[in-house]
Amino acid sequence: MIVGAGVAGASAAATLRAEGFDGEVLLVGDEPDAPYERPPLSKAWLSGQAPSIEVHPPEFYADQSIELLTGTRVTGLDAAARRVVVGGSAVGYDALLVATGGQARRLRGMAGERVHHLRTRADSDRLRAQLVPGERLVVLGAGFVGCEVAATARSLGVDVTVLEMAGSPLERALGPEIGGVFAGIHRDAGVDLRCGVRVDAVSAADSGPVVHTDRGTVECSVLLVAAGMVRDTGIWEAAGVPCDDGVLVDAGCRTGVPGVFAAGDVAAHDHPRYGRTRVEHHDSAVRQGAIAAQAMLGRDVVHDQPHWFWSDQYVHTVQSCGAPGVAVDETVVRGRIDEASFVRFGLRDGRVVSVLGLGRPREVMAGRKLLLGGHPVSADQLRDESVDLRRAGVRR
Amino acid sequence: MTANWVPALELDELWEGEMTAVTVGGTSVLLVNVDGDVRAYRNRCPHQEWALDEGDFDGEIITCSRHLWEFDARSGAGRNPATCSLSVFPCRVDEVGMIHVDVR
Repeated sequence: MIVGAGVAGASAAATLRAEGFDGEVLLVGDEPDAPYERPPLSKAWLSGQAPSIEVHPPEFYADQSIELLTGTRVTGLDAAARRVVVGGSAVGYDALLVATGGQARRLRGMAGERVHHLRTRADSDRLRAQLVPGERLVVLGAGFVGCEVAATARSLGVDVTVLEMAGSPLERALGPEIGGVFAGIHRDAGVDLRCGVRVDAVSAADSGPVVHTDRGTVECSVLLVAAGMVRDTGIWEAAGVPCDDGVLVDAGCRTGVPGVFAAGDVAAHDHPRYGRTRVEHHDSAVRQGAIAAQAMLGRDVVHDQPHWFWSDQYVHTVQSCGAPGVAVDETVVRGRIDEASFVRFGLRDGRVVSVLGLGRPREVMAGRKLLLGGHPVSADQLRDESVDLRRAGVRR
Repeated sequence: MTANWVPALELDELWEGEMTAVTVGGTSVLLVNVDGDVRAYRNRCPHQEWALDEGDFDGEIITCSRHLWEFDARSGAGRNPATCSLSVFPCRVDEVGMIHVDVR
């Protein structure tokens, strides 16, 4: 029984079959769609350039004997009896995977025809319908979703203003220096980016929403609230599954309650490298879903891969391997941060523990390999652009 | 229909365990040397069409640099996810060590 038909749930269902499980697999999701990928919702899907975002082709579920129930909510759990309430009826299970993801954070008083959040395909479709040239989009929050939508909207000829409380975009994830690079990227693309702004309220005028800030009002015709996501764990917590801003799981995606597992955005995972982490990365959802499926089959597995995420904005791709906040002894930059072309390595005990690159996928991949290999490497080799990183390491 | 072999690269320039991109008849082709056997694939990840030569090849697995999709270098079959695979082009190495690819 898999509750939540996002990429984590889809990955778990596929993995159960790939691992030879021949019992019943039920995949239940509350959205009307079969599992799809969320990353394009702020990018290629939003601009109408992604032909398909389905995780698996439609025939996959029947071919694999996976029963897919869309538009269906799970509203209760009895963990002792191993039963969940699915669309109003009790259904038994041998193993339950909670992969319900999260919801876009909603701010009080912000609703209406021209106020948007972005989490689902329906959200993206509704926003796209209003992103036409001449409209004025205001984005609240310069996190990844806010920045990606700003970039996509500019490419569609929409006027864009971004309001951010921190000193630079993406500051919480990437720090102020790289945040400053992204500030320049967005301003060069014509975005009116205003940082250090506190949003107090939104009111409705005939022309559209009006945002009230500590620095005056901002009028818009379309408003996107990009204030992160929240994890709704009420059902699981009520059933005695330990939760703390997410369903608490061990390295193998087990909750500690017999037969109950969790994966993806809803999980607060005890990562062998980084400790308790709550991430919203696509790659983690896919990998945790696969690990959870194996754990459901009684295998002794752990998810210990370094975190991986990326973001595409205009022609720029930022990629990260490891955890940006992981403790390091030394930081080495290869290339130029101010030219938006670099890889930044975090070193601990002479080994690469984090890799963050902008516009350098090949070197990020080489850096990821150094991280995975765990071999000693010198800062000079990493810094020297004449050194092929695929051959770096050991020699000092 | 006869094959339309086009010379693409000398085998000497593609070491075992390496991959590289070449353009053949306007098509970007990924050439991979797997333990001395050469394979040719369309140089686009089936996921979102990113160029695969920017990714990683560890001698067995090709990993896309964008979203870490993984493919078996010998067959092009998907490993993670297993549901889609690379498009294969016929390729051969002639007696003087030139790799030929048919992209028709």
